[in-house]
Amino acid sequence: MWIYEKKLQRPIKISRPDPAMAKIIITQLGGPDGETGAAMRYLSQRYAMPNDKVKAALTDIGTEELGHMEMISAIVHQLTRNLSMEEIKRGGFAPYFVDHTTGIYPVDATGNPFSAATFQSTGDPIADLHEDMAAEQKARKTYDNILLLSDDPDVRDAIKFLREREIVHYQRFGESLEHVLDGLNCKNFYAFNPAFIPK
Amino acid sequence: MDNRKALLSRIVTCDFILAETALFLDTHPESAEALAFYQKHLEMRKTAAEEYAKKYGMLTHGDYNGQNSWQWVEGPWPWEYKEG
Repeated sequence: MWIYEKKLQRPIKISRPDPAMAKIIITQLGGPDGETGAAMRYLSQRYAMPNDKVKAALTDIGTEELGHMEMISAIVHQLTRNLSMEEIKRGGFAPYFVDHTTGIYPVDATGNPFSAATFQSTGDPIADLHEDMAAEQKARKTYDNILLLSDDPDVRDAIKFLREREIVHYQRFGESLEHVLDGLNCKNFYAFNPAFIPK
Repeated sequence: MDNRKALLSRIVTCDFILAETALFLDTHPESAEALAFYQKHLEMRKTAAEEYAKKYGMLTHGDYNGQNSWQWVEGPWPWEYKEG
């Protein structure tokens, strides 16, 4: 069960609108390495996990990712406030604007809507945790690229915070994988799926 | 039903009443009747949740109360509920 807290994990205050940057950053809401996919991935994978510590880690990281969806949405919202039609056209924002105006809709940087096909829940804890570690690295990469593209300190501060969280989550998933490997049957040399043994 | 289950069931019932009343209040924020109903069940919920945290463990991270291990990680998890 979830309860909403009426605050962001870290406040977002962006003073300068920038629709071109909004179009880039929205990929962390609806893109292949974004926060929506992260939350759905971790919260879906919990059920196949054999280890209580790992269930806790996926629950807590998945929950934090829901908060990150809200932070990305807040960044995009603030970057697209009070725009003139001229700014919308000049910033390359018209294709998004025609469908969504300045509402928030999960798409990647080229406008493809969010797809659950961007993540897996394999039912194999070892396969899933390797994907999770890769996912954190891929999200960190996207934040690195956003930092190369943005020179607004308000945007950069928020993105740097989110980037750091990817690094911390990567560490916790690495430890989670160790916990699962430590719990394997000693005859399972090749780390085959410990969560499904056919009858 | 043991005491833990009875107490958890009380919290779940209170939470549903609170959620349902909150939805009503979202569109009727001035309703004195709904506000009083919310307040009454909020107090019942707080009492039950405090007792649960003290006797049986954490429902949220914030229920931690000085124990020497992070009891949050202990199963069973809610989706592992078994009959009986």
